[in-house]
Amino acid sequence: MELSDANLQTLTEYLKKTLDPDPAIRRPAEKFLESVEGSQNYPLLLLTLLEKSQENVIKVCASVTFKNYIKRNWRIVEDEPNKICESDRIAIKANIVPLMLSSPEQIQKQLSDAISIIGREDFPQKWPDLLTEMVNRFQSGDFHVINGVLRTAHSLFKRYRHEFKSNELWTEIKLVLDAFALPLTNLFKATIELCSTHATDASALKVLFSSLILIAKLFYSLNFQDLPEFFEDNMETWMTNFHSLLTLDNKLLQTDDEEEAGLLELLKSQICDNAALYAQKYDEEFQPYLPRFVTAIWNLLVTTGQEVKYDLLVSNAIQFLASVCERPHYKHLFEDQNTLTSICEKVIVPNMEFRAADEEAFEDNSEEYIRRDLEGSDIDTRRRAACDLVRGLCKFFEGPVTGIFSGYVNSMLQEYAKNPSVNWKHKDAAIYLVTSLASKAQTQKHGITQANELVNLTEFFVNHIQPDLKSASVNEFPVLKADGIKYIMIFRNHVPKEQLLVSIPLLINHLQAESIVVHTYAAHALERLFTMRGTNNTTLITAAEMAPFVEVLLTNLFKALTLPGSSENEYIMKAIMRSFSLLQESIIPYIPSVITQLTQKLLAVSKNPSKPHFNHYMFESICLSIRITCKANPDAVGNFEEALFMVFTEILQNDVQEFIPYVFQVMSLLLEMHKNEIPSSYMALFPHLLQPVLWERTGNIPPLVRLLQAYLERGANTIASAAADKIPGLLGVFQKLIASKANDHQGFYLLNSIIEHMPPESVDQYRKQIFILLFQRLQNSKTTKFIKSFLVFINLYCIKYGALALQEIFDSIQPKMFGMVLEKIVIPEIQKVSGQVEKKICAVGITKILTECPPMMDTEYTKLWTPLLQALIGLFELPEDDTIPDEEHFIDIEDTPGYQTAFSQLAFAGKKEHDPVGQMVNNPRIHLAQSLQKLSMACPGRVLSMLRTSLNAEAFQYLQGYLQAARVNLH
Amino acid sequence: MPVVGEPSERMRKFKNKGKDAAALRRQRVEVNIELRKAKKDEQILKRRSISFSLRDESLSPGEDKRNEIIQLSLEEILQAVNGSNPELQLQATQATRRMLSRQRDPPINQIIELGIIPRLVEFLCHADNAPLQFEAAWALTNIASGTSDHTKAVVEGGAVPAFISLLSSPHMHICEQSVWALGNIAGDGPLYRDALINCNVIPPLLALVSPATPLGFLRNITWTLSNLCRNKNPYPPLDAVKKMLPVLICLLKHEDKDIISDSCWAISYLTDGSNDRIQIVVDTGILPRLVELMASPELIIMTPALRAIGNVVTGTDEQTQAAIDAGVFTVLPCLLRHAKSTIQKEAAWTLSNIAAGPCRQIQQLITCGLLPPLVELLDKGDFKAQKEAVWVVANFTTGGTVEQVVELVQSGVLKPLLNLLLAKDSKTILVILDTISNLFLAAEKLGETERLCLLVEELGGLEKIEALQIHGNNMVYRAALNIIEKYFSGEENPDLQPGTGQDGLYDFSVEKQDFNF
Repeated sequence: MELSDANLQTLTEYLKKTLDPDPAIRRPAEKFLESVEGSQNYPLLLLTLLEKSQENVIKVCASVTFKNYIKRNWRIVEDEPNKICESDRIAIKANIVPLMLSSPEQIQKQLSDAISIIGREDFPQKWPDLLTEMVNRFQSGDFHVINGVLRTAHSLFKRYRHEFKSNELWTEIKLVLDAFALPLTNLFKATIELCSTHATDASALKVLFSSLILIAKLFYSLNFQDLPEFFEDNMETWMTNFHSLLTLDNKLLQTDDEEEAGLLELLKSQICDNAALYAQKYDEEFQPYLPRFVTAIWNLLVTTGQEVKYDLLVSNAIQFLASVCERPHYKHLFEDQNTLTSICEKVIVPNMEFRAADEEAFEDNSEEYIRRDLEGSDIDTRRRAACDLVRGLCKFFEGPVTGIFSGYVNSMLQEYAKNPSVNWKHKDAAIYLVTSLASKAQTQKHGITQANELVNLTEFFVNHIQPDLKSASVNEFPVLKADGIKYIMIFRNHVPKEQLLVSIPLLINHLQAESIVVHTYAAHALERLFTMRGTNNTTLITAAEMAPFVEVLLTNLFKALTLPGSSENEYIMKAIMRSFSLLQESIIPYIPSVITQLTQKLLAVSKNPSKPHFNHYMFESICLSIRITCKANPDAVGNFEEALFMVFTEILQNDVQEFIPYVFQVMSLLLEMHKNEIPSSYMALFPHLLQPVLWERTGNIPPLVRLLQAYLERGANTIASAAADKIPGLLGVFQKLIASKANDHQGFYLLNSIIEHMPPESVDQYRKQIFILLFQRLQNSKTTKFIKSFLVFINLYCIKYGALALQEIFDSIQPKMFGMVLEKIVIPEIQKVSGQVEKKICAVGITKILTECPPMMDTEYTKLWTPLLQALIGLFELPEDDTIPDEEHFIDIEDTPGYQTAFSQLAFAGKKEHDPVGQMVNNPRIHLAQSLQKLSMACPGRVLSMLRTSLNAEAFQYLQGYLQAARVNLH
Repeated sequence: MPVVGEPSERMRKFKNKGKDAAALRRQRVEVNIELRKAKKDEQILKRRSISFSLRDESLSPGEDKRNEIIQLSLEEILQAVNGSNPELQLQATQATRRMLSRQRDPPINQIIELGIIPRLVEFLCHADNAPLQFEAAWALTNIASGTSDHTKAVVEGGAVPAFISLLSSPHMHICEQSVWALGNIAGDGPLYRDALINCNVIPPLLALVSPATPLGFLRNITWTLSNLCRNKNPYPPLDAVKKMLPVLICLLKHEDKDIISDSCWAISYLTDGSNDRIQIVVDTGILPRLVELMASPELIIMTPALRAIGNVVTGTDEQTQAAIDAGVFTVLPCLLRHAKSTIQKEAAWTLSNIAAGPCRQIQQLITCGLLPPLVELLDKGDFKAQKEAVWVVANFTTGGTVEQVVELVQSGVLKPLLNLLLAKDSKTILVILDTISNLFLAAEKLGETERLCLLVEELGGLEKIEALQIHGNNMVYRAALNIIEKYFSGEENPDLQPGTGQDGLYDFSVEKQDFNF
């Protein structure tokens, strides 16, 4: 492309088209630009346009296009063609700085970005004069130009704040320091002087302060990696000026805007950051200046207002104090009682106040409010900073600080008592103060885990929290109600149980509050109380203690879901689930109404599932209803099917992906409740469950396998007789699963159920293929998980079909296969098997191989007999897995190991562990002893001699123990 | 789980369990680029001899009274030096020396530009005129004490052989002045150091050391010897080191603190290198003495002794064990709590290298009570020292057994460690994140993952790690993300792969192959 007027014209037209709202015009233009951007001069044409075009919109558009072009193409990637020709690169670098500096701000910003992208690649080696070019402009006296330079420098240098130290980086920084540090310092001094000469000129001040902000930012970047010699030598200049800027105020710079931080706030905020940087990293050198900064920052805090625009400054300033007051050698700065009192009174208390903005969020944006207040996403807020300062001060001054605040808390409570409706915010602050003072450590799961012992939490609770919650109106002073409920919630481990029991009806009552925050907190608090642990791994609050409240609890919970704004409130739904789980059979009388409400809710949300946690807890609640009811009355399963199947069908038909895994789990649960043959309604669905499309979605796999297992358990005969043609499809699913390292265990679950339940003749023709498939996986990509499942399976097979059948089928696939599997897989790997049932299956299976498989006694396999026995004894004597008792009640979504967006395992749809050898063998060790005895009777002398010659002594001793326990002798 | 994709430079320098221990031990980190002011606690490289000292009065026999000092202009000096009148030569040389010995702004450049260095070197050889020799030697000493260019001017003026032969001068003060001059030349860098060694400076220098050598003189010799041991790239030749070492070991046992200090510095230079160089020092059996000196109340002794031991433990496991056997663990707690931050930092660096060793050494570290001072340092130390302490913990968690890691956590390391996630240093943050991953690996083995999760959350670590997910440094944010994903979200990455599908349902079929497991 030539640098011609014609080309400029063409480019202008296409640029214009890229701004067109109509994609039919816009897209081709974008395509065109993309197609020509490889041409020489293209970037220069853009630069010409952004400088000279008559239309401002084209100038801006050209600058943006140019920036994006640079972003995409400037970097030279190894082994890829250079996308910008060398002469263009040189021309760009030669022109871009002056061009940037002479452009209006909007374009200047784009070009400044472009420069920093180029700089990242080329600076300093391939762009040696950039720095000098920039520094020279400092003398221009034109602050529009100077700010352009500073902004560019900032975007070039800010990476020093996060890059790792390296010779390359430090060489660059040194180069920058050599060229830049002195001019920057001079500019800093000059700018400050200009600020006083122009102290009455608002527009000049604004420009100058913008420069100061950029200079302060550059200071931060240049000092980040280490303290440069230059800045150490000039610390006096910088720190003295920073200090005086912190204390400076000028009416002309104050803004009317309450939200957006003004220049003064931004500058002071950056200075706080700079001081914090020095205090943290260069303590030794900075020590002489630090006390001054502490005083200045503290005065700043005392004089800064409550407006939102000051938030960043205030929280930065408080965080600075918080970080300093924890250090032993600055302890003295805070030690004085007057200082402490003053910090508490003038810095902490005011910043804990509930502000208009908080009130607004409480009412109009309650979801956000809850997230911040409850889930701790409040890192940058003033309250949080104040809270951190309290904790920092408590490190050395817990006693005095607690004392000072006690006085405050009392006086604020008195203020409140005088006129609650006017002064309720005082009480809010008092509660917040007590909370921040008392809580030393906290987790989501357990609330406060360490408390300040100087604060009497129970007394405060009884005297100041309960009265609010006992008040007749649940809607009065909603903020205080929320505070009170939150107090119970977070200090639940520190308040005695009898007080919690007193609180429960109060909380139930507050489920009716109109305020979203209040009823959400009430639900959440109940849910948390119900998960507290008592002795013996039971719940602290028992179903018996809850008996008087069951009806009102359930009523209020479901009513709360009808309150405006809470129709899909996850906290309420979780409380429902937890209540069901705690109350168990006492909910049965209410089930008809409950299940109606739940199905209606399900129908409603399945139109557009948007709250995953809400949905999850809803399905958990459905499962609980089913389990609790059917445990007492198994026939009730039909009622549930009647109530639910219609909605389920709709979900399956509409392919509501989020819900399908849940539906399969609920169906499994229902099917397992049936005691007799599988109902025909389920059989009709069977072929559909084998559809590949369902199995392509990861989230469906676990619940579908679970469901197919339920089908096999209840309906294996029906399948064999009525759906034999679907058996290859069923095995196809197994094959699909076994091919995946992630899902192979699911494939084994399915295979185990097939082997265990299907009539042998129905799978006869496929057995050999099944093994070949497994051997292939074993050969090509075995994993520990696969081996463990494989071992369980072959032993299950051995139990079901006999050891001889196992040996025969192996050896029919390949001669000596059986021996190879024993030697290479079973003997070395058997100890990896985990799980009580799994180990038992393996033990019984191996016992059969040892004692019921003639080739083990009279072929070359005999040499494997003792090693196999030894491996089995090893399996017995491994430390047992501590299987955890019924933990479901305490479960959280976050806890379930397999949780992922695609599949959410329902804890309460849980399958009870199935033990296929349960009835057959009670104690596998005794079983081994008895089986060995039988074998020794069949071939007298041989067993004993094999044991004596090659079993190791320790194993032999164990074995004798088994024999004694079984009261048998070997012959 | 290595959070960091690629082992960092520093990581690679650690000795590392299970890998080639010798190759992975961490050397003193070499910084080619310094942003900071030159370190204040380093040994002085070059020294100038300033006037008005006692020796000016007593050791300069050619000079009369101070009030008779004759002021000469540069022009006059030039003439006199180049002239042939010995009287004037002496006067001019003395005047030159005096100017160069001025407290402030000695005119080294002007003197060099005058071009009289070759003449001054010539004067060194005037064995018949001891005062002239002495004044010339002093003047040249002070020129050589300047910048590299200044030293270069002296060397290129041919002073090296002249000074070396003056080491055998019958006049002790000339001898001593030469030692000083040679010290300045050796201190310039490896090039001149080796030039001196090649000119065979060592035998006559060592010959000057005897029980009769006056203290001041002996100090000078020790300092010059230390400069001959100093600098890397390349290191001083091995045979030279072997010649100096026995004398240095003797000097290390002297009573004078300056002599001890400089000989310690010399040892610290000799140990700042590859393992075979460390071994030469270990073989002298001097480690117990060095450890004793580490506990010296004199900072000028403690500093180089600590450095020397710090260097030794960058060596092999056996060399480290020698330092442990010499009692390094009894002294380190005090040093970790030392008031001076540079000592804290150096002590922590030393400990970090020991913690990079095999678990039996880690066990000794625990048994000797190093964990409490380590935790204190991590909590309250100076930032530079805290950074090193983080490395100690990182190495400990990499090489320690599960039980040892449990002990570390029980000693309270977690809280200060997590607090340092707020450090304004990306590397430190990354190392901490790596350490946290190590802790989780140990917790997994114990089935205590959930407890560790709660502990990390309770100590305010979780929110700090969460906040790091938006850190500007790629590796930091990825490491933080990894930890959150792995331990705090419960989510797992599904690893799905396609199976076989055929009209309607899956097809179940296999082909047989030969198996061999």
